[in-house]
Amino acid sequence: MTKKTILSISIIVNIILATVFAVSLPGAMGELVYEYVEQDTIRPDTIRKYLEWENYGTVAALSRPIRGGAEVADTDADYYKLGEYAELLFLKEVYKRAGNADSAEACEDRISEIRREMPEYGALLDKIDLSVANAVKE
Amino acid sequence: MKCINCGADVRLTDKVCPYCGRVIKENAGYRADMEYYKRDSAKTKKKVREILSENIPIVISAIILVVLLIADGVLLYVEENAFYFRESAAQRESVKKYETYSAAIQDYLDAGDYAGFSAFEEYHNIAEWEPPYDDLNLLCDMAKEYSSLVSAVEEVTMFGPDAKWYRPESDIRSCRSAIWYFNFQFEHNLSKIDEDPYKDYIYDMKAKADTIMEVYLGLDEAGRDEYFASSSNKQEAYLEEVLLHD
Repeated sequence: MTKKTILSISIIVNIILATVFAVSLPGAMGELVYEYVEQDTIRPDTIRKYLEWENYGTVAALSRPIRGGAEVADTDADYYKLGEYAELLFLKEVYKRAGNADSAEACEDRISEIRREMPEYGALLDKIDLSVANAVKE
Repeated sequence: MKCINCGADVRLTDKVCPYCGRVIKENAGYRADMEYYKRDSAKTKKKVREILSENIPIVISAIILVVLLIADGVLLYVEENAFYFRESAAQRESVKKYETYSAAIQDYLDAGDYAGFSAFEEYHNIAEWEPPYDDLNLLCDMAKEYSSLVSAVEEVTMFGPDAKWYRPESDIRSCRSAIWYFNFQFEHNLSKIDEDPYKDYIYDMKAKADTIMEVYLGLDEAGRDEYFASSSNKQEAYLEEVLLHD
């Protein structure tokens, strides 16, 4: 093998390695960006799907991260808020029965706030109200 | 060597004696050899320079290749382990913000919102097994199970009027497991719970879990005793009866 051949091969390998490096670098740096919440783990598409199926309990469970301080994209915020509404309704009933009047009241305040913030979802919020009312076993 | 005319010390390369001026012929052979070696050395140096100049691009390319290999390896390692780096960074952040976070945690606990607390703990990567959060360890474990129970019960009970429930059997099985696991953890850790600084919250969590079962699954105290005393098949059958046929 001549020196020219060796040089040519090493240059080609270098170009391939440099390309791999250049392509991988933004991805690796992106992976390292520190955020409290990775929104993809909260699965906004899944939340939308369960909203369409009227599985409000699943929507409530999937939206829970925002009650823990998770930040979500503005475009998806409404879906999570609907889930928050459903979960607070569910928990309000528990707090009421368990004798935690303050917690039940705090849930009620937030529930009313969400209703005020989302007048366009009034019909959907009514359905969520109904789903919790039907879920309660007297 | 010595000059044979004046006896002074002269160098092997001297053509004439620097003291008496006599032409020195005795070292002519040595001087000729020296000239030959000098010329040969120049040729060798020239050849070495030529070889070097031919090989320098290969050497540089090889060095670049090694550097790029290392860089690609580092990138691959970073991509593979990014999750752990991020988690570790978040945990360090949680230690830095201990005062803020512990105040927020206390708010969740005071409100009895253990599911919210679990979400907070998870999404702020609280390192509950390390100081200064290590006293939260058992509370966090129990809150995770409580959170799973809340989710599981929500998933099998809250449906709109035109709901599609695609996997009722599977969801009911998961719900039974979540309830069983929370109660198992509570019973299993009872002695630890009694020594835990957050034991009151854990007992309250258990009371809330019982209330959830009562409110949404129709299991009052007597019903729960009977439910937990029965086999897993009977527990599942009960949940199916309550959730699918009521």
